[in-house]
Amino acid sequence: MGKGERTKTQTQSAREKIKAQQAAQRTRDKRRKTVTYVTAGAVAVAAVGLGWWYAASISRSEEATGALAPITVQPDGTAVMAQSGVTKPVVDIYEDFQCPACKELERVSGQTFKNLAAEGKAKVVFHPITIFSQEPTKSNSVRAANAARCVADGKQWLAFHDLLFKNQPSETVEGFKPDQLLQWGTDAGVTAPGFEQCVTSNKNAEAHLAYSKKISDEQKLTHTPTVKLNGKEIDNPVLFSPSQLRKEISEAAK
Amino acid sequence: MAASPTSPWARTAIPWVTTVARLVLGGVLIAAGALKIGNPADSVVAVKAYQLLPESIAVAVGYALPILEIVVGVLLVVGLLTRVAAVIAGLLMFAFVFGIAWAWAKGLRIDCGCFGGGGQLGAGQEPTYLLDILRDFGLVLLGAWTARFPPGRFALDGALGLGGDTHHDGDEGDD
Repeated sequence: MGKGERTKTQTQSAREKIKAQQAAQRTRDKRRKTVTYVTAGAVAVAAVGLGWWYAASISRSEEATGALAPITVQPDGTAVMAQSGVTKPVVDIYEDFQCPACKELERVSGQTFKNLAAEGKAKVVFHPITIFSQEPTKSNSVRAANAARCVADGKQWLAFHDLLFKNQPSETVEGFKPDQLLQWGTDAGVTAPGFEQCVTSNKNAEAHLAYSKKISDEQKLTHTPTVKLNGKEIDNPVLFSPSQLRKEISEAAK
Repeated sequence: MAASPTSPWARTAIPWVTTVARLVLGGVLIAAGALKIGNPADSVVAVKAYQLLPESIAVAVGYALPILEIVVGVLLVVGLLTRVAAVIAGLLMFAFVFGIAWAWAKGLRIDCGCFGGGGQLGAGQEPTYLLDILRDFGLVLLGAWTARFPPGRFALDGALGLGGDTHHDGDEGDD
């Protein structure tokens, strides 16, 4: 073996060594990159999940705890829900049967109002109003409110009220049709003989619109739902968070 | 696709364009998410106003959308997981274009709810569908650009060596 040849072999093996080292380095780099990538991805997904969970949890509705407080339907079309003797704090709910945000309020916080009234912590007053001025939403809203005024029994009134929101039509079509309203009345337990005629004749429409205008002017209502606690409007973030809503109303009860 | 004997000028310019695209798209997403996140109920109502998704899915989307927008927006701004974030952002914007076009075609009169608010418009208000669609379509294009040429200058991906295409030697080939 000549001297030159040995040098050549050595160079070759050194070169291979370097190559192997480089390959190992590349593998390490690749692994490090993968780890970084996966970690960043996992953190991002976790952040989205956490935010989602948080949004869902602050909007989580209460469970029904027991019997409802007694409900009285008033001559002006409003309905009062309170244990006897409870006169404050007063929670006034101004809502339109056709308004999607009101439906959302009922979905998220409706049970909280019922529970607080049942616990004797609040006097809850429902004020169905019509906020819409365009068709078909205006007529939908008026037909629903008229039908609600046809229900004299408090318990049936609230059941009917809940069914109206649950079955709220789209804002682009004619809805709350008389035969639907009659069906939901039956579902709510209404058996009074005058109900059908009252619904189909729409006879409370004028009284409802008059009350709607009067109370909107008096209370300076610009949007529905508006909920006032002892006359002061509750802000949306509180209104749509059942736990905060309970806290605010309970504190006012002290 | 075209071969890549890109001119030196393009080599310099493209990463900068990507950076601008990232900042604009990410900034818009962060703003849109931040304006909605404080009030999940509004967000749910805005999603439902499109009458596109079934009730339970609309609720889930209403809760998830603001945080998703913020997280994807932040990833784009800092340039981390740039390509994935850009693809998600582009798809989101495409979904918004579709949703607004749907509302328009159906004759709904709603606010897109893109930056909070949303729902049915009042008597005196007019929908701004065309403007909303053009804006969101422009943002789809920014997302597509960023997905094609990630991660641009000032990107964490670059600093961490996660750079994909712009990695210097070796991977000259197009995807």
